[in-house]
Amino acid sequence: MQPLQLFDLAFRQNEWLAQRQSVISANIANANTPGYKAKDVESFEDVMRRSVSMTTTNPEHIASSDDGQVPAYENDPNRAEVLVSGNDVSLEDEFLKSGEVMRSYSLNTQILKTFSSMLQSVTKG
Amino acid sequence: MSDPLLASEKSAAAGLFAQSARMRVVSENIANASTTGKTPGADPYQRKTISFESVLNDDTGVSTVQVDQISRDETPFQTEYMPGNPAADDKGMVKMPNVNMLVELADMREASRSYTANTQVIKQVRELVSMTIDLLRSS
Repeated sequence: MQPLQLFDLAFRQNEWLAQRQSVISANIANANTPGYKAKDVESFEDVMRRSVSMTTTNPEHIASSDDGQVPAYENDPNRAEVLVSGNDVSLEDEFLKSGEVMRSYSLNTQILKTFSSMLQSVTKG
Repeated sequence: MSDPLLASEKSAAAGLFAQSARMRVVSENIANASTTGKTPGADPYQRKTISFESVLNDDTGVSTVQVDQISRDETPFQTEYMPGNPAADDKGMVKMPNVNMLVELADMREASRSYTANTQVIKQVRELVSMTIDLLRSS
């Protein structure tokens, strides 16, 4: 059993959420830029699945690298909100996503807080 | 890789800057909505337009926004009969600026809406950062 992995997992998700928030704010900043297409990041499940590193049997083998960067992709081009200028940012959608980020982030930090206080109560006795 | 939360604050700040530049252009247009020329037959104030472009910040890898160019609106001027005006030609017609109040007001509303959206982003990012700092403060 590796209970300390919980910290790692929560931090990884927080990192992913921060990336997502930065993409969302880029979308909102570009809400009036002609030709700008709204972007979003890969889902957390996909990132986790990809970032499980390969085990190497020999130290000379090249380890699978993952620099923690989450690739951004563009939204479906056939959405209804595309404006004449070619811009398809919908402020409502972006704030919806931003709300999701806030919720998950606060959930994660609460879990971390609880877990660390549990650890402390064990170590302090 | 730099801090993505800091990067989002930066792009929101770039959005604020771009939208305030747009607001400035709108107010210039509205202020000059009836600025005629000074000599007979002279051209009046020509409406200004502003356009944005998306730029990729190399340090953060996040696309921010900046003002692309401020140019002049080439729509033809309307003429009005005002013989007393210094800009009136020999028939008493004066060229009026090609500023349309309705267009300017709509532009202003959109700019203020986008400005509010960007301030909201900054608020939320600050809340995210303070949640992380609160981790150290607990117990």
